[in-house]
Amino acid sequence: MRASKPAAASGRRRAQPYLFFYPAFLLVAAVSFVPLFYALRQSVYSADYLTTGGFVGLSNYTELLLHGGGLAAIGVSLTFVVGSLLLTVPLGVGLALLLNRPIRFSTFFRTVLLLPWIISQLVTGLLWLWLYDGRLGPVADAVQGLGLSFSGPLTDPDWALPSLILTNTWHSYPLVMIFTLAALQTIPRETLEAARIDAPSAWRRFRHVTLPLIRNTVLVALVLSTLHTFNTVTTVLVMTGGGPVGATEVLALKVFKEGFQFYRMEIAAAAAVVIFALNIVFTLAYIRVLRSERT
Amino acid sequence: MKTKPIHPPSRHRALHVAGEIATYGTLLLAVLFVVAPLAWGLSTSLKSNSDIFSPTAQWIPPSVDFGNYLKVFSSPLFLRYILNSVAVVACALVLSTILAVHAAYAVSRFRFRAKDFLLFLVWATVMLPGVAIIVPLYLLAVDLGIYDTLFVVVLAYSAWLIPTLIWLLQGFVDSVPYELEEAAMIDGCSRLKAFYLIVLPLLRPGLAAAAVLVFVTIWNDFLLSFSLTLKDENRLLQTGIYIFVNESGIEWGPLTAAAIGSTIPVAILFALLQRSFIRGLTGGAVKG
Repeated sequence: MRASKPAAASGRRRAQPYLFFYPAFLLVAAVSFVPLFYALRQSVYSADYLTTGGFVGLSNYTELLLHGGGLAAIGVSLTFVVGSLLLTVPLGVGLALLLNRPIRFSTFFRTVLLLPWIISQLVTGLLWLWLYDGRLGPVADAVQGLGLSFSGPLTDPDWALPSLILTNTWHSYPLVMIFTLAALQTIPRETLEAARIDAPSAWRRFRHVTLPLIRNTVLVALVLSTLHTFNTVTTVLVMTGGGPVGATEVLALKVFKEGFQFYRMEIAAAAAVVIFALNIVFTLAYIRVLRSERT
Repeated sequence: MKTKPIHPPSRHRALHVAGEIATYGTLLLAVLFVVAPLAWGLSTSLKSNSDIFSPTAQWIPPSVDFGNYLKVFSSPLFLRYILNSVAVVACALVLSTILAVHAAYAVSRFRFRAKDFLLFLVWATVMLPGVAIIVPLYLLAVDLGIYDTLFVVVLAYSAWLIPTLIWLLQGFVDSVPYELEEAAMIDGCSRLKAFYLIVLPLLRPGLAAAAVLVFVTIWNDFLLSFSLTLKDENRLLQTGIYIFVNESGIEWGPLTAAAIGSTIPVAILFALLQRSFIRGLTGGAVKG
């Protein structure tokens, strides 16, 4: 591989960046962009399972949103996301604050509290499904023990979504916790010491000293947590499959079911495009917040 | 914080004690919340069938029975799923890391045409949720005749992981001083050689984090392999666990044994390699 001619060597040198970068780029493009365009195209054509039919404009979208329960699914998804964030963020930030204190057994606490993070969505869903079991599970057992009639957290339409939110919180608070903890550890001790003298109230210290210093990191964790929850299929599929009576039919699950249970690929493609668009909207909204509040 | 110059007055000490109790109390409650579903699953996995169907919920199995684990982990089919997962992890690890580390090096060290735009496209795919592309990916795989092969599964996971791996590894390449390569190149090393011999060995913590990310993602993912494969011989671990959920009901004993058993290796690795896990799973955003 010794360069014999200067011209050849310089040509090779010029090609080098591309040889380093393009193989990775092309694979990503093939597996991400090509399907995306495929979905965009399919979403405006009719289809009969794998056979693509004629151009139909936006009728797959209207079919999905107006007749196929798409709008309702978006509503359920938003409740799922907001409900999860309302639990995940205080829990994640609060536990990070506690772990950042000089406590005994901190490695033990940190390891155990991060554990749900490395457990798969499928196993999470199955373990909670079993915990929530209406006949044999301890949750129903305890409620029925109080003399109340209760068919189980997941079979009662009022309780199904809150129960899923709790499961999702279990699975996603560690992400918020680890980001927050990392941000807290970058705050110099002296800053906190100084604050201790100026503001004796712990809440005011947190509000005016700690929070501004960790806000950007927490916001990043918030974006990740939002997207994670919004795109969750497996946990919901395993625990309720969208039921009872559509109470937990989130949009992400709808994509999956339209594609792989009902084989309506054109509707699934439209739903996939909608979900992608909403992902971009969420991310951009957060970026705006991040930019505007950084003063 | 260890040395306090003045002995705190007793009221402060009482407050301090109350604060300690609140801290540890909250942490213990959180630990209970985390452990409850795991303990319930573990307990079930160690019960015999008759104990599982006991009308009152028993957290501690009356008698310990490893039958469920034996049944699951001696079944040739389940071992096949594990083997498939290991094989896919290994192939995707090699493919995605090799591609990503070169791309990360290019991003860190070279200027080239449309670099910012291409990078933007790569980052944009991080925002492309898996669920949005599984349906078209499935259609595409069927069209190309590679549906229901481990090949397509490896390709899809690799492509899925590469953007985060580039991001992760670029941070590590950036931290290697350029003078090292420059010195090697002055001594007659080619650029490629300088990269392989000088830079790559210094990226070891980054590569470890990358390996963790690839392993955990593939080991834990259900959706993609479920959508892209059909035959038992091509299915991965998580899909294999789902086998115990079928029309005739759920076999909770073997199911919990499979769920707990498949989680244990990840949990052990996590306890041993926590820094790499934290770095990898946060895409390098948290140093760990």
